Amino acid sequence: MNDIFTGKLVRLSAFDPEEMSKAFTRWNLNSEYGRLLNSSAHRMQSAKSTAKWMEKEAEEMSPAGYYFSIRTLAEDKLIGELGLDVVNWPGRDAFVGLGIGETEYWSKGYGTDVMNVLLRFAFAEINLRRVTLTVFEYNPRAIRSYEKAGFRHEGHLRNYLNREGRRWNEIYMGILREEWMELNNHAPSAVLGA
Amino acid sequence: MRELFRGKLVRITAEEPETYAKSEVHWQRDSEFVRLADSDPVQLSSEKKIREWAEKRFEKGPQPDRYSFTVRTLDEDKLIGFFGLWINLIHNEAWVGIGIGEREFWGKGYGTDMMKLCLQYVFTELCLERVSLGLHEYNARALRSYEKCGFRLEGRTRRDILREGRRTDTLWMGILREEWLQMQNGENQ
Repeated sequence: MNDIFTGKLVRLSAFDPEEMSKAFTRWNLNSEYGRLLNSSAHRMQSAKSTAKWMEKEAEEMSPAGYYFSIRTLAEDKLIGELGLDVVNWPGRDAFVGLGIGETEYWSKGYGTDVMNVLLRFAFAEINLRRVTLTVFEYNPRAIRSYEKAGFRHEGHLRNYLNREGRRWNEIYMGILREEWMELNNHAPSAVLGA
Repeated sequence: MRELFRGKLVRITAEEPETYAKSEVHWQRDSEFVRLADSDPVQLSSEKKIREWAEKRFEKGPQPDRYSFTVRTLDEDKLIGFFGLWINLIHNEAWVGIGIGEREFWGKGYGTDMMKLCLQYVFTELCLERVSLGLHEYNARALRSYEKCGFRLEGRTRRDILREGRRTDTLWMGILREEWLQMQNGENQ
């Protein structure tokens, strides 16, 4: 089988609103996770209300948004969430958001593996020209992981965040199709034998 | 900057659902027009139904894979037709549909002017790689117009359409980004 959704440690799987909303609610109890993922004030949401908007998103199946859950290959355990939003079709650019909610899987290469799989999907399947993300200055673990996946620093919004009495930058990172092709020896996918 | 919405004979407009419904209800009575534009049987819809359908599209808001335009003449500001794009976002290409409902504007270069505006929008604004279209073999006027715009005949589905006891072909045409760019060096720059 040739499955572009499977990496070395994880695989992307379909987004099941019922399962996902429960996991999501539990992960959100961890305010550190919320602060690494979002710039808004951390808040809690019931599993029920979360399931509601997730169901709506899942139903639409828009070509502009792709949402996945992240599972380990070893135990088939749901450990995180992933979304790719195409924000600019003429420019063929998308924003990626990635979160590993299960903290025992932090710093072990899972996030990097997810990003590698996602980039293959973005460039070899959706035919994008670039992928963009933002990350917060206080999240060096994520920055390091994105660098490993091939993202470059493109700029930052100075003092964008106010967390615990300090102001932090929001960092913009991006990767171009050509850069990704080079990293992958110009063989985007085994599907076409290219 | 290029003028995206203004050609030599026509300009692209956005119409209120009421205005559009008034024109469309009148265009659909011209069976020859419908048979040139479509392969579905000629059907009649009420002005109210057409308006509601247009309003629904308005409410849904802009979709990244669907663009539709109406067209008015430059000299009389008369609403004469429409064109629309159905985009395959993943493969970065689109199908175009075009029609002039007011028959006194047939055969006078209006359609060609509309299609040129459409292609300019497709290649300079949407940045697509190709555009496809289909037409009935019996629509020689359209074929010539599309050729003038740079479309090439790419194939045909033989005898798939039955009109008044006679089977006719559907023709498929396409234009690539490189071909369009090359044409721009000659004209329309």
